[in-house]
Order: sequence, then C-alpha cells, then structure tokens
Amino acid sequence: MVDSLFPSIETIGDASSESRRKKRKISETAETEAEIEARRINEESLKRWRTNRVQQIYASKLFEALRRVRQRSTNENVKVAGAAREIRETADRVLAASARGTTRWSRAILASSVRAKLKKHKKAAKLTGNCKSRKAATETKRIRLPAVDKKLKILGRLVPGCRKVTVPNLLDEATDYIAALEMQVRAMEALAELLTVAAPRTTLTGP
Amino acid sequence: MDLTGGLVARSGSGGMCRESTGLESLHLVDEFRQLVTLPSENAGGSFTALLELPATQAVELLHFTDSSSSQAAVNGIGGDIAPPPLHSFGTLTFPSNSALMERAARFSVIATEQHNGNVSGETTTSSVPSNSSANLDRIKTEPAETDSSQRLISDQIPCPIQNNRSGKRKDFEKKVRSSTKKTKSSEENEKLPYVHVRARRGQATDSHSLAERARREKINARMKLLQELVPGCDKIQGTALVLDEIINHVQSLQRQVEMLSMRLAAVNPRIDFNLDTILASENGSLMDGSFNGTAMQLAWPHQAIETEQSFHHRQLQPPPPHQWPFDGLNQPVWGREEDQGHGNEHNNLMAVSENVMVGSANLLHPNQVKTEL
Repeated sequence: MVDSLFPSIETIGDASSESRRKKRKISETAETEAEIEARRINEESLKRWRTNRVQQIYASKLFEALRRVRQRSTNENVKVAGAAREIRETADRVLAASARGTTRWSRAILASSVRAKLKKHKKAAKLTGNCKSRKAATETKRIRLPAVDKKLKILGRLVPGCRKVTVPNLLDEATDYIAALEMQVRAMEALAELLTVAAPRTTLTGP
Repeated sequence: MDLTGGLVARSGSGGMCRESTGLESLHLVDEFRQLVTLPSENAGGSFTALLELPATQAVELLHFTDSSSSQAAVNGIGGDIAPPPLHSFGTLTFPSNSALMERAARFSVIATEQHNGNVSGETTTSSVPSNSSANLDRIKTEPAETDSSQRLISDQIPCPIQNNRSGKRKDFEKKVRSSTKKTKSSEENEKLPYVHVRARRGQATDSHSLAERARREKINARMKLLQELVPGCDKIQGTALVLDEIINHVQSLQRQVEMLSMRLAAVNPRIDFNLDTILASENGSLMDGSFNGTAMQLAWPHQAIETEQSFHHRQLQPPPPHQWPFDGLNQPVWGREEDQGHGNEHNNLMAVSENVMVGSANLLHPNQVKTEL
C-alpha cells in the first residue's frame, strides 16, 4: 500500500526530469551559464527529496520522533490541536534535520526550535548570516516591478528563515523547500494511512 | 566628380593636393616626398607597376588602419565609436569608388604618358587619403576614398595579405559589434572570473548592463525551474502570476502538512503503538493471531538482520525497490533511546517501530519475523 504511493511519485519525478533532459538536448546551444547553474541546483535538491529511499528514511525518523513525543506527552493531558502543533513542529524538525543543514530554511527551522527550547533569543540570530544579503542588496536595480516585489516578500515570509535573502537565493531556497514539503506530505500521508488503518482494527482483533 | 575633374585638370600641372584641403599638410609633404623618390626608382609605366608602390604603401596603411581602428574599437567603451566611421565607409564607398575608377583609368593613361610628377601627385593623393584614414576623425570623404582605394587595390592586386586584411575589414565591419562585445566580455571574464556572461550581438556592453543582464538571467533561470516544479505553472506567462502560483502551492503544501499532523495527532491517542494492532492492520489476512509481542528478546538486532536475509529466500511479495538502511537505523536509534523503566517492553516497542518501518516498505517482513519466532 505504501509502496504504491512511493513509486508513483517517483515516476512523476522521473518524468519531469526526463522532460527537462529532452528540453536540454533540444536547446543545448541556447543554455546560458545561469541556466546551467540553476539546473544543477535544482537537480541536487530533487535528488535529495524525490528518491524513495529518502522518503522512507524520513518516514522512519518521523515515526520515531512521534513516538517519543507521544511518550513524553502521555503524562500530560494534551488536546488534539496542541498535539497537532507538536507533531507538525516535530515533522518540520525532522525534515530540516534530513536536509543536513545545507539550506537556509532547514537551519532556520532547527534554530528556531532550539531557540524556543532553550529560550535564548540572541543565540541563533547570527546563525542565518546576513552578510550575503548585504552584498547583494546593493545591486537591486530597476527591473523589479512592485507587484513582483510584494510577491517575493510574501514568498520570503512563507519559507522559514528567508525574509532578508537575495532574490536568486530566495528562489533557490523556495525550490528546495517545495521539494522537501512535497516529500513531507507524501511521507506523512503514508504514515497516517498506516496508522489510521491500524486503528479501527484494534477493536476487531484485540490481543 | 569634382575631385576627379580637379585632379585631371591639375595633372598636367603636377598639382599637388587639391585634396590637401582638410588634410594636414605635414602628412602630404612627407608622403609626397616619399612618393617622389620611390617612383623614380621604378621603371614600369604600367598601372600595375604604378600600383606596386602605392600597393605596398597601401598595404602598410591598410595594416595601420586596421590596427588603429581595431585598437580604437577595443579600447573604446563600446563599438559605438568604431561603427559609425566604418559605416560611413560603407555608405560612401560607391561614389568614391567610381571616382577612383575614373582616376585609375586616368592613372594608366597618365602613366604611359608621363612619369614622375603627375603620377606621384596622383598616387600621393590616393595614398595620402589612405594614410589620413588612420585618424578616424577626418572628413568622411577622405576615409571613404581611402577605403574604396584600399578595396580597389585589393581587387586588382591579389595579395594574400591584403585580401585577408580586406576580408578581415569586411568581417570586422559587419561583425564589429559582436566581436567587440565578445572581446570586451572575454576581457571582462578574464578580469572578473565570476562574471560568466557572453554578450550577444546588438546588446549594450556597459559593465552595468552586463551585470544587470547576468542577474536577470540568473533569476529567470531559477524562475523557470520553479515553474517546472510547481504543477500548472508551465502555461502561465509573466513573473507575477507564476509567483502567485508558487505562493499558492507552498501555502497548500503547508496546509496539507497541518491537516496531516492533526490526523496523526488524532490517531495517536487511540493506538498504543502496539505491535499487534499495527501488524494486524497490515497483514490482515496473513495474521495468525498467535503472535506474542513479549516473545521478542534483546537478541532482536541480530534476528532482524537474519530475518531480512531470510526474507530474500521466501518472497511472497515483490521486494521493495530500496532496502531500508536497517543497520544504520538500529544503532543510532537505540543509542538515543531513553529507557525509563519500560525495560523489555520498551525494547519490544523499539523493535516494533523498526518493524513498522520495514513493514511500510515491505508488508511481509513482520510476518516473516513472526513465523520465524
């Protein structure tokens, strides 16, 4: 059942990468350096988030984390919404951990959780490193329309830790973040399926 | 043409330089002296003999012109300076060409009749303008004439060097913009290795615009990739709408995560994460019901590896495409485990979780474990 979920999405990923490969063959001469670089970044991020194996690893880690959270909260009386928030934060943290700190949003997620836990406000503020934005912010020139600007700001707010990031970096981070989110959704769906299918059976086939 | 008529009229008088108007007299005088001395050495009276001297000189001048103009093109901020004069060459080629043809005809006539003065005068006048073309800020007629004279010479004398140079000049004229852009961009590339831009024909070559273009290309490339990633963005035109789609997609994904987390939270309290229930759900028909969770012992890790290997032998279901990193998962997880008095049961739950993980990939594995135990 879960297997059926994973391979289908893997093929979708393959299809898109194949179409990209075809496009590349056709317009090989027309590709500029920038396109090559961006494509490389995209392929890296896709390799990280699209493979079955990564998904399974994530699902297992998530399960583990959930179980531990569950154990920790069995003592307290937690409502569903609160538990949902916890679970979501756990899931995000596990996702960020599996990114291995190469992306800004993953570092921001981990940093924010650490910050909340230890309640130290000044610690992680330097982590994200604004030095990049200082260099690139001075280069902002005319072509940015105000409409596009607003949307880029919104996007920056959506992707964690990317408010003051340069436009090309923001787009890179968004690419990786979208791929990671898709994987997260798939894995959580699979997990939820597993567990919800298990639940009604408890009444029927008890120990 | 007036010039031609004037020249012809003056030819008999050995007139110097009607065309000296507008030229610096110094050049003229020098050239004239050179040309006066040289043709005296030459014995030929034919036109080709005539043209030998000016040919060689024209070759030099051509070279000089070429080099000077190319230098000017490269050094200047753009090909902006270079193209206009060269363009004027092109536009003014025809009328002066005809004039020079006429003059050439007369040269031949004159050469046969007389030797020194007129010939030198004519050649002087023809060569002097070519010299003057080296300075690009001359009157346009003269450079034009020079150009045409050079072309004429190149047409008549099959000198390989000359042909190459004229060919180069033509190519240069045609592609002056792209070449200057390329040289300029290549120069820039050498200086600033991180600017990887190949400027195209007909585009400006300011450093500002180059950087701007590089930046824009980067952003556009990334937008294209995002478009491919987000479903339904391929057909949309315009950055703003594509960004809209991307934002919607991200928001929907985040909302899905929230929904799923709520679902998981709702599921959690009902299940005790017990091996029985989970396995029962997965292996409905295959479950024996005789499974005993407490039967698992601390030897689980070894058994786990065994069972996985044994699974390969008995394949009731097709194996998953990717094997779980079983060993890799076991050790760190157990290392992280905090035992709080659950003891054996805790380990069982650990094993259960591992089992479930494997089960999610391969439904039959827990069943195998069961039968083994």
